[in-house]
Amino acid sequence: MSEQRVPCVEGLFSEEGGAKLHGSRCTTCSTPYFPKTATCHNPDCTQSAIVPDDFGGRGVLWSYSVADFPPPPPHKFDQPFKSYAMGVVDMECGLRLIGQMVDEAAAVKIGSAVELVIDTLYHEDGKAFTTWKFKQL
Amino acid sequence: MQEVVVLGVGMHRFGKTGDAIVGTKSVGELCRHAVDAALKDAGVSWKQIQAVSAASSRFSGGKGWGLNGNDVVEDLGSTGIPVYNLSAGCAAGGNAFNVGYSLVAGGIYDMMLVVGGEVMPKGMIQTSGVEEATDPEFLRQRCIGMPGPSFWSTLARRRMYEYGTTEEQFSKVAVKARKNSVHNPYARFQQEITLEQVLGSPYVSNPLRLFQICPVSNGAAAAIICSAERARQFTSKPVTVATSTVATMTFDDMLPRGLGDAITDCPNLHTEARAAVLKAFEKSGIGPGDISFTELQDNTCYYELAFPEEWGLCQPGQSESLLEAGETAPTGRMPINPSGGFVSFGEATTAMGVFQIAELTWQLRGQAGGRQVPDAKVGLAQTLGLGGNATAAILKR
Repeated sequence: MSEQRVPCVEGLFSEEGGAKLHGSRCTTCSTPYFPKTATCHNPDCTQSAIVPDDFGGRGVLWSYSVADFPPPPPHKFDQPFKSYAMGVVDMECGLRLIGQMVDEAAAVKIGSAVELVIDTLYHEDGKAFTTWKFKQL
Repeated sequence: MQEVVVLGVGMHRFGKTGDAIVGTKSVGELCRHAVDAALKDAGVSWKQIQAVSAASSRFSGGKGWGLNGNDVVEDLGSTGIPVYNLSAGCAAGGNAFNVGYSLVAGGIYDMMLVVGGEVMPKGMIQTSGVEEATDPEFLRQRCIGMPGPSFWSTLARRRMYEYGTTEEQFSKVAVKARKNSVHNPYARFQQEITLEQVLGSPYVSNPLRLFQICPVSNGAAAAIICSAERARQFTSKPVTVATSTVATMTFDDMLPRGLGDAITDCPNLHTEARAAVLKAFEKSGIGPGDISFTELQDNTCYYELAFPEEWGLCQPGQSESLLEAGETAPTGRMPINPSGGFVSFGEATTAMGVFQIAELTWQLRGQAGGRQVPDAKVGLAQTLGLGGNATAAILKR
């Protein structure tokens, strides 16, 4: 029986038809935004023109770190705590994005090609709460 | 513009709740101790203070509204003077100093108190506590779980990749810092540590270890500032404020601060810190080559290596060799954090900008004892805070 999967924050991302982050883009200056924005924040942009845009696909790992201790609330995690790596990724869509890594910390390397995936973050009330993560290719 | 001077400074030694230093003292008691010491140092009475510029805390005192300056005024005796409560995350102490400086320089007041103090909750600093999907800090912690140390360690890891910095070199920064702290009666940690001890301390967030990042601390610092003209009544050798600046980050900044930001060609991380420092050089006419020593915000050892390069105190990639040659020690060519820095004090967040002013003042007066920078003439201070806030100050004798 497959468990019910629920985004840890509603509306930020989805996994049906491939991992996608739901953000915005300004069609005047091409600046991508995640999470969504109502207006363009680029002070050099002449005319804010925001449309919804989805971000996913691939990127290159700029740097990473490791959570050797459990982070404080409002982070949630399954007991017992298992250390995880976090990546800072320069995505092909033009975003420098942060997220947990699926890969074990010891295997993570700066410069690696990665792809965006949706994966379980923690379990609560019999459901799996998900978030976006990076997976080395 | 009036010339502004620092007339007196005072601190309460930093410590941890329950220890022999701060015990169960409230932020009010810590601030009172620091303010009394600063008034005594300046030779000024409370009733001579015309206005207060205070750092707002979200952790302690301030009636839950960051009204920490009002607490100080009520404690010292309400004289009806104006109070400015400044909020800028960990840069709040620096902001409070800047507002005090600006008001005295602008001729609005002649004699002001600048103060910051904290009693910090245990453990890693938490976000607002509000579970609100429009708050990027909430999203960052709920969806990823990246507290301060993990953020710093992505920067440290990137530096290792770009410059070949080793974990041993990060550790040597901590060894140097703690060597200085032995001579600082206000530091929380006043004992040397060995390279082996640093390298043997557990990872908090790989590659950064426990002794390479600052814990949170309780403490307070205060400064009495006044116009140079007014200072003549009190001293013949005041410390002059060459300038004080504030900056915020720019849109093209490439630090991973929220969940994601547009990739730009901006070559600098922490654009706010660089802007505050470069603006201080520009406004004072004092260049990096004129700086005798620097007190910078070393939440982690990484910053002691990265910041001097980003500000032009040395060349990119040069910090490690300067460190290893002893040039960042008080007796070196580019002394960094002779006080022992945040790594030796721990961070009493909003007190830090004022703590730096106290250290600069003692150094420039030649009162820094075993951590004294020989013939210190010009000191640079810098803070950094959540929200992309930064401050800088240059003091000279």
